Amino acid sequence: MSWLLFGGFLVLLVAGVPLATALGITGALVVLAANLGAMSIASNVYSSLAKYPLLALPVFILAGMIFERAGVAAKLVAFVSALVGPRHGAQAVVAILVCMFLGGISGSGPADAAAVAMVMLPSMTRQGYPPAFSASIIAAAGSTAILIPPSIAFVIFTVLVPQVSVPALFAAGVIPGLLAGLSLLVPSTIFAWKYGWGANDATERRGLLRALKDASWGLAAPIIILGGLRTGAFTPTEAAVVAVFYGFFVGTVVYRTLDVRGLYRVLVDSAEISAVVMLIIACAGIFAHAGSTLGAFDAMAKAMLGVTQEPHLMLAMIMLLLLAAGMMLDAASIFLIFLPILTPIVNAFGWNMTWFAVLMTMNMAIGQFTPPMAVNLLVTTRIAGVGMESTVRWVLWMVVSMLGALALVAAFPQLALWLPERLGY
Amino acid sequence: MAGPDGTETESAPAGNAHDGETSPRDPRNTPRVPIRIEEAAAAAAMALICLITFANVVVRYLTNASFAFTEEISVFLLVVLTLVGAAAAFARDLNIRVLFFAEMLPARPRRALELIGMALSAVLFMLVAWYGWRFFLDDWKYGTTSPGLGIPQWMYSIWLVVLSAAIVARVAGRLWRVWRRG
Repeated sequence: MSWLLFGGFLVLLVAGVPLATALGITGALVVLAANLGAMSIASNVYSSLAKYPLLALPVFILAGMIFERAGVAAKLVAFVSALVGPRHGAQAVVAILVCMFLGGISGSGPADAAAVAMVMLPSMTRQGYPPAFSASIIAAAGSTAILIPPSIAFVIFTVLVPQVSVPALFAAGVIPGLLAGLSLLVPSTIFAWKYGWGANDATERRGLLRALKDASWGLAAPIIILGGLRTGAFTPTEAAVVAVFYGFFVGTVVYRTLDVRGLYRVLVDSAEISAVVMLIIACAGIFAHAGSTLGAFDAMAKAMLGVTQEPHLMLAMIMLLLLAAGMMLDAASIFLIFLPILTPIVNAFGWNMTWFAVLMTMNMAIGQFTPPMAVNLLVTTRIAGVGMESTVRWVLWMVVSMLGALALVAAFPQLALWLPERLGY
Repeated sequence: MAGPDGTETESAPAGNAHDGETSPRDPRNTPRVPIRIEEAAAAAAMALICLITFANVVVRYLTNASFAFTEEISVFLLVVLTLVGAAAAFARDLNIRVLFFAEMLPARPRRALELIGMALSAVLFMLVAWYGWRFFLDDWKYGTTSPGLGIPQWMYSIWLVVLSAAIVARVAGRLWRVWRRG
């Protein structure tokens, strides 16, 4: 039965069947064939969704989208440009920093990358940066959104692994997220100096204070979201809702970029994107029920443990596996598929689950901009009007530098665990 | 791949998010029953979730009283939002799937795989609707009440049946359009 579960799923996945269907139908067939209680097919769909912590997911998606549509990215670019000043490679630095900052408002990599690419690509091209390079650096920096809190990926992780709390995981993502983003400064600065990009930077810069005032509404957003969580005044869902109402205020009253129609569109689009993710969660509920009742996950974990008992080798193997998976699928799907198998392994080696969550997510982040199937690159290359193959000579260096950040966090777990411990989670 | 995030930003460069009922993958692909129905329901569920949660925060601050029982409604709305949104996503082919390998195939086998995927989706949600129906009958027969608000449980469970059936209808509609297109 176990081979039917894993084999059937894999075949359907490769055949291009919707992931939710592939999980649900193999799970349901195994439940029926092995007599595991047919009613569980319906009850697992309902109970996988009807969870209070999961409410945070659609609301964080909505919050990120409201700020994006309100036009926060452009104001942040103006402010950070004024801050960095004119110099070699300045625009690349600005792109990286703004992506990281937007990651502190939204929790989705491609959305983050798209927002920055729309604002920055034209000016970067004028200053001599090749569009393929700009698309690469923005795609790579945008991927830090799933590491820097708030992160949709982390919310899903905590729904699946309830012993890890959202505030703790959010805190754990801060330093690795910053490291991942800052690691990109190395290749971008080297390239900028080598090729002299941004040497003729004649962009008109507004005064720093004026730009700060404009951007302050966006700059305050992460403080509101994370501050509310930090004081324990809000649950994650409530913090997200407060961010939604704040973003609503900024979009309608301050920037006046959102009208009634725009608001309706934001509600529809964020609801649909949430539904796509949550449908996979619902169907993975059927799959997980079948797998755990059969003992298939434990058997798979044992098989992996049979390959090696050496923790470093095992960790390296898992990272490679996740990196490959991260190129094909998004973080939410990967957690749903791999966590039931990986959790027993993490427990067997006595690894810290919070640290492991960060490592997993760093792999997903790198997968988001590793060709040929990278979601972030797909978005930015389309905006830049270049083919994905033209980005390879640039983007591979960015993959290498972020792998460096991943290796650091893998070697020094305190990089992830220090902040949550310090904050007392 | 097409991700939830990918689809969100897919149309961004053109400046407009999903415009009405057209699928970004296939503009000719327009269902006869407008997807606006699902869109409006999903937007309403999302707005209600936000309003209920926000009201909760405000009330807690002003009165120290907790509206914890409203969690039951929010969580129910989450189920509605997911299934209604999923119906729209199936009609538009926005669900996450790995297209990398399928796209290496010639047109005919690729289309066959697509039809198989949709047929399997229809079967899955028929099963969910059917066993959901049996749940509903149990709730109805035994008069189960919900733990938070104490209202009859069948008022929740019936929606799993109705919305799963809606998903089956959307999948069938798309299956038919792809089939006819040849």
